[in-house]
Amino acid sequence: MARDSGLLTGAKVVATRAEGLSTATREQAVQPSRAVVEITGLGRRFGSHEVVRTLDLTLAPGERAAFWGPNGSGKSTVLRCIAGTLFPSSGRVLVNGFSAGTLEARRAVGASLAQERSFYLRLTGHVNLLFFARLHSASEREARRRVGALEEELELEDIAAERVDRCSTGMVQQLGFARALLGNPAVVLLDEPTRSLDEGARGRLWAALERRPAVAALIATHLKEDLERCDWRVVFPC
Amino acid sequence: MLALARRDYAVIRTYRLGFALDFGFGFANLVVFYFISRTVQGVEDLDRLGGAPSYFAFVAVGIALSGVISAASAGLAQRLREEQLSGTLEMLVVQPIRLTELAAGLAAYPFLFAMVRAAFYILVGGGLLGLSFRQTSWLGFLVMLLAAAAAFSGLGILLGALVLVVKRGTTLVGLLIFVLGALSGAFFPLSVLPGWLEAIGRLLPTSYAFSGLRDAIFQGDDWATPALILSAFAAVTIPLALVAFRLALDHTRRAGTLNQY
Repeated sequence: MARDSGLLTGAKVVATRAEGLSTATREQAVQPSRAVVEITGLGRRFGSHEVVRTLDLTLAPGERAAFWGPNGSGKSTVLRCIAGTLFPSSGRVLVNGFSAGTLEARRAVGASLAQERSFYLRLTGHVNLLFFARLHSASEREARRRVGALEEELELEDIAAERVDRCSTGMVQQLGFARALLGNPAVVLLDEPTRSLDEGARGRLWAALERRPAVAALIATHLKEDLERCDWRVVFPC
Repeated sequence: MLALARRDYAVIRTYRLGFALDFGFGFANLVVFYFISRTVQGVEDLDRLGGAPSYFAFVAVGIALSGVISAASAGLAQRLREEQLSGTLEMLVVQPIRLTELAAGLAAYPFLFAMVRAAFYILVGGGLLGLSFRQTSWLGFLVMLLAAAAAFSGLGILLGALVLVVKRGTTLVGLLIFVLGALSGAFFPLSVLPGWLEAIGRLLPTSYAFSGLRDAIFQGDDWATPALILSAFAAVTIPLALVAFRLALDHTRRAGTLNQY
């Protein structure tokens, strides 16, 4: 993503720096380093339907970009291309310098995509989180430590004690966000992370991101509050 | 891999009745064949039974090993299908685990469960239904179970790749496993088949698995050659199947169907 405000990147996707926002605090807090996410000429079509025509985006450690646009405009599609569960039709996506979807890239990504259908419903939130923590090569003890710390930080103890099929959409969303942070990622991909959250949960989510100033974030959202908390706005037209 | 197996065990444990019914069905299956065996007692041609002292002994081994072969060759496909239907497959693919870890981890629990169930069938056959283990080579028994499972893991990974691409492939998988078992001497000796079908059956790797395990249990020897053949089969098919699995996963990423069911 170019750094000039209001720059049109390609013919389709518009990226602008959010007005009135400063990333100075975060920029001071993190060491300058190479881009965490580097997207060049990303396009994606499904059959004859072109969902994303061209997207260029570069995100440094600690930067946050909001994907803004109506339903079906390609926000989730781009997140999936970065997560590596979808190949671009054109262009390329690098995460920490590695092609999206490779083992090295996946180590750097924490994703919360379609939360409602991404947990094992008959297990508790806690057991689900422990399972995903173990997939990050964490030892059993380390996995328990990470899960315990996140449950405490996000005040998830009561939610995590419930079987997931007894949790509301907002509760599952909070578990999804916790899962995205389990592997100490360099970048988190959050698909409408605050859509069903109450005010308290929204506050805890943003506070958790504030406590991780080196973690870059890409957030698909419809909420203006989310936009205001991001450094960049990537506008997806119809 | 262990994390995936433990997760499966945790999910299965929540279906307590299903867990008990699985063993109950297996026991009932054995009892039915026990009475079939008593019905044909004296009529059966023992020379055809590959060293087994009775039809029941013959078929008990067939049933036990069929479960292991079925788990090794269909376990991954069924688990992938469940992940597709529950919507968790995409989130698994995002995790930092290797393709081989994903495939082995998803197949691990069904495989381990089938091994335990096979041992259960054999022991129940011995303890309650008079199966004799006087000549059994327990080393051969174990090696044959493992070699058979390894040999059919390649097929299992290939069928997993099929399910990734076509989604509803599990019916085909079930049919394939049944036909393989029937043509390889799981339930009746190959010699009762028409000549041309018997020839095909003897070429199938499953026939080496059944004959080798029966040799290990009823004669205590002659199992090494079938074990070697099965191991060689595994060494060739598993790497090829992993390539196919990788291609299938890439296909779903390209087509955008990974999170579809």
